[in-house]
Amino acid sequence: MDPKLDLLYRLADDQLILGHRNSEWNGLGPILEEDIAFSSMAQDKLGHSLQLYNLLHNLGEAEPDTVAFTRNAPQFHCCQLVELPIGEYDFSLTRHFLFDHAELLRFEALATSSYEPLAQVARKLRGELKYHALHANTWMKRLGTATEEAIERMQGALNFTLPYALGIFETTEAEPEIISSGLFIGEAELKSRWLESITKILAQTALDMPDLNLLTPVNGGRYGQHTEHLQPLLDEMAEVFRLDPTADW
Amino acid sequence: MIQSFDPRMNRLGLPDAPVTAATKTALDQFGTYEVFHQKKDGAPYVYVGPVHAPEADVAFLFAKEQFSRRFACTGMWVVPTAAITVTDYVGDQESAYDFLPLLPKSVAPAPGNADDTAGEAAAYAAGEEDYDIFHLKKRGKAHQHVGKVRASSPAAALQVAKAVFGEQRPVVNVWTTRSADVLRSDEEDRDIWSTTPEKKYRDAISYKVQDRIEKFKAENK
Amino acid sequence: MYGSASTHDLPTTATTGLENEDPILLAEFEARIARGEKIEPGDWMPALYRKQLTRMIEQHAHSEIIGSLPEGTWITRAPGFRRKMAQMAKVQDEVGHAQLLYSAAETLGKTREQMLIDLINGKSKYSNVFNYPTPTWADSNVISWLIDAGAIVNQLANAKGSYGPYCRALDRICAEEAFHLKYGHDAVVHMATGTPIQRAMMQAALNRWWPAIMTFFGPSDKMSVHTEILMRWKVKMASNDECRNQFLDMYVPKIWEIGLTLPDEKLAKNEETGRWEFTEPDWEDFKRVINGDGPCNAERIAVRRAAEENGAWVRRALLTPKTQYVRPLA
Repeated sequence: MDPKLDLLYRLADDQLILGHRNSEWNGLGPILEEDIAFSSMAQDKLGHSLQLYNLLHNLGEAEPDTVAFTRNAPQFHCCQLVELPIGEYDFSLTRHFLFDHAELLRFEALATSSYEPLAQVARKLRGELKYHALHANTWMKRLGTATEEAIERMQGALNFTLPYALGIFETTEAEPEIISSGLFIGEAELKSRWLESITKILAQTALDMPDLNLLTPVNGGRYGQHTEHLQPLLDEMAEVFRLDPTADW
Repeated sequence: MIQSFDPRMNRLGLPDAPVTAATKTALDQFGTYEVFHQKKDGAPYVYVGPVHAPEADVAFLFAKEQFSRRFACTGMWVVPTAAITVTDYVGDQESAYDFLPLLPKSVAPAPGNADDTAGEAAAYAAGEEDYDIFHLKKRGKAHQHVGKVRASSPAAALQVAKAVFGEQRPVVNVWTTRSADVLRSDEEDRDIWSTTPEKKYRDAISYKVQDRIEKFKAENK
Repeated sequence: MYGSASTHDLPTTATTGLENEDPILLAEFEARIARGEKIEPGDWMPALYRKQLTRMIEQHAHSEIIGSLPEGTWITRAPGFRRKMAQMAKVQDEVGHAQLLYSAAETLGKTREQMLIDLINGKSKYSNVFNYPTPTWADSNVISWLIDAGAIVNQLANAKGSYGPYCRALDRICAEEAFHLKYGHDAVVHMATGTPIQRAMMQAALNRWWPAIMTFFGPSDKMSVHTEILMRWKVKMASNDECRNQFLDMYVPKIWEIGLTLPDEKLAKNEETGRWEFTEPDWEDFKRVINGDGPCNAERIAVRRAAEENGAWVRRALLTPKTQYVRPLA
């Protein structure tokens, strides 16, 4: 695949699927105010994916609605982390923390991408992503230093989620060209920045960072291999849209 | 299990019959923080409402989305409710400052404290602090920040505020808080609001269907 | 989203308790309201005023949080980016409105936690229309447009009421809801003027919802001693019939112009009286549903309870004994 399309599809699909997942919390959050904050960030993710699908559309791909609402799981390039069901709040917060740190650093790097339209989007989203990271860090620090119950839950969620989070950085065949053409710094570099960034926050908690060398990254998502959760998610998301794909809803 | 039209609820697995009556311990309730919002540069900070939160940093996270997700914002303050001293409320034509308890002359503050650079260091050294002052101009409206004063206690701050801002009328009610108790958004973080105006899907003006209605009517005469 | 008249349970006791109030303070209180000044939390107020307002604002808050559920039903299935993001924002706003209203009620002395306990224990009422389901996307659109429209009629009236914190909350809510109404109208128009499948879905949803919409403002007010006092105190601002008539005036023509029909043959405006005539809603059924026997009562409460229970560990973790709860200021 063209390196631009390859990169954009991965980014857009990640944001779409995680935005969709996080919207499931709307009305069910642990505190009214948190319910509202979490929903805003889910909306932001949807908005980011839309902007990225628009870039793809400008490069000749189909309309954003068609791309988002009519493909099946094997055609999705998201990492498996984002497709997992919302679970309990400890998992959803941990996923938010691990994903959004990668996202913040990714877009910081993309701000100087050789592909100017993407660089523009990245610069614009800086403030939004900053809030997302602030939100994630604050929660991680609070819950990671709170009651024994909370620390145990968060540690469990971290241990469970990390192998999936490593799947964020799965590379594709386009990777060498993505780096050489200055589109993006590359997943390996991003991963090392991410590791430094999350380690710094986790160090301020009672949580232990598992030894990443002992973990096997959950890969496959970038090549269309997904968990059993993605297709049902897509079917649900497109339930109304597919009643009449020609209709203007 | 309750069968819902909402797939999210089916995933929750809601029990058919309520189990036991819900109870909460008396402590299952956070403190509250009062939130002030600035809608554009140079505009006064205006009271927008409270949030429930365990700490000021969490209160700020909450306040940002509850009170500034829909309309433009350039800055936000959160203050623990308990840190705010409130005067009596007076009538819409009156001034709350006229109803402050009178202080003995010896402790009454000197007016015009704002630009007193000479005495400043000494005053702070003697335990005085900055206080933020908020006025309510009309019942039913919102408190607005009017400025800061330096004083040794909330009661004294109100007296100083009377000297500095007492000319303003009407003042239905005054709030004061130690400036140190106010968590203020950083100037360098104001880009967290930069895309708010672009979220058009939350704006009434993005939804225009009159043309569609006219077309439908024309076709179905 | 949702005004208060739809729950409308005034006290049934004959006594107002006013004979126990200090006559001078009461006279000052009434004079302030008569002058058009708002009452603020620090003011003296009669016990009946506090009690009625607490109940009314609390029910309004519950109606927002429960009212987010029928539209929330479609949050994961809204078709296309535009609808998906707006549906999320709208449901989010309802939760935000609940937050604003619980805060306003708290200034009168009842804690938010207590209100939420009363809700999930079935001790409090909320707007009855939310005990009905939204089996299709079109049902959600009907709520977004017409229930919100009804609520705005109600809330604009209540925003002129006498209690400062409630007025401030309503001002903010009305400003935010301008988007809801337009969004709902937009979605309904797209369906009604769209493909045959869309049109049929929309007409079916409107038929399902119309009887509930007609009960939204509650039965005709019976003038009691309480009603008279609450109107004088600007707690109750407009009669149920007045609100309903205003709603029909504003929205029936907009429904008809996009070729939708309403399932009430009697529905027509009497041009002489300026009043709408319609088949009297089934108030017995309304009473049965409001008392717990509707299609979704159990689910609505169970959802709220699950949210509370699943979130309990988070709240437990964050509680710090040093932050003592004090009621919000305004």
